[in-house]
Amino acid sequence: MPRISDVKVGQVICFEFDQINRELLRRYAKASGDTNPIHTTDAVAERTGLKGVIAHGLFSFGFLTKMLDEFVGEEGKIIEIGIKMTAMVRCGDNLITEAEVTKIEGKRVYLDIEQRTITPIDIKKGGEIVKQFEAGERGYVTERDIARGLIKTKEVDEGTLTYRERVAAPGHAIIELNE
Amino acid sequence: MDEAQIKKNAEFLIENLPKVEIPGEAKIRCKYRKMVEFAKCFGYTNKKYIGSEEEIIACPGFANSYTVKAFYTLIPAVKLEQDGKTRDMLLNPTKLLHASNQYNWENCFPIKPGDVLIAKAKYDKAWVNERMVLFTQMHLTVTNQNDELVCNITSIGAIRPGGY
Repeated sequence: MPRISDVKVGQVICFEFDQINRELLRRYAKASGDTNPIHTTDAVAERTGLKGVIAHGLFSFGFLTKMLDEFVGEEGKIIEIGIKMTAMVRCGDNLITEAEVTKIEGKRVYLDIEQRTITPIDIKKGGEIVKQFEAGERGYVTERDIARGLIKTKEVDEGTLTYRERVAAPGHAIIELNE
Repeated sequence: MDEAQIKKNAEFLIENLPKVEIPGEAKIRCKYRKMVEFAKCFGYTNKKYIGSEEEIIACPGFANSYTVKAFYTLIPAVKLEQDGKTRDMLLNPTKLLHASNQYNWENCFPIKPGDVLIAKAKYDKAWVNERMVLFTQMHLTVTNQNDELVCNITSIGAIRPGGY
């Protein structure tokens, strides 16, 4: 576990999670008590115009706290975390959590937080779709996403992957480490 | 609900919500099984969070759980007098979204299985954006059955037009 002298301004802590699925959202709903069916039942989510279930607003926060908790270890502690929920997180998303050290004062470390999602849409080869992901099938991508330049491509083994990358939850955190 | 009524309701709530006393308190019993299940959702393997009933405390993310339960209890209890009639603060719960949460654990006690948390809340302020989404900022103080502080929470909810 790090001591305060091990941490430097500009240091980035990162955690990736790509296993967001309906079963996990059902488990989270039961464990958290947030049982709104828009998070667990596609038919209900579709009736409210969501095109499919969305993760709970605070679901991503769990991964952020876990990342910071494991970073501070047994002797450090989390003092404060604040996040804004700016975009929906869905099944099939790769959730990337990053915390950058911006200031160190005494035993306290101040961090800027960014949680962003990579949403795979489809893979094309020779102009043909060879694989379609949930976001492509259910039409999660909007004209606004395209206009904002959030849709990107990259080459993968099977062809050209089209995906959306966007910030889901910016925020801040304060942790305390031992000398 | 027409635009004029939405505007009128927004102005009323911006002025009056910070003065409202949120009645009562929410009591949340922290069960061992739920605490462990919650931690496992996020892949915790540390015995401190998923071990035996005698050794565990709640993982930090568990704050989500008691925050949501407190809101489900406290927000529906908020009533205001508008134009001589009693109204709920929230007219349509499906229009409510979480916009922001801040958790502070300074000088706070950990949560153990069997603890009964007591959450009390007050509104700080309310405002609208250009699309007439009403934002309400609420402060929640959470203590345990021994009156020890567990967490201070500042939460901003966003209510879409028609929901207030």
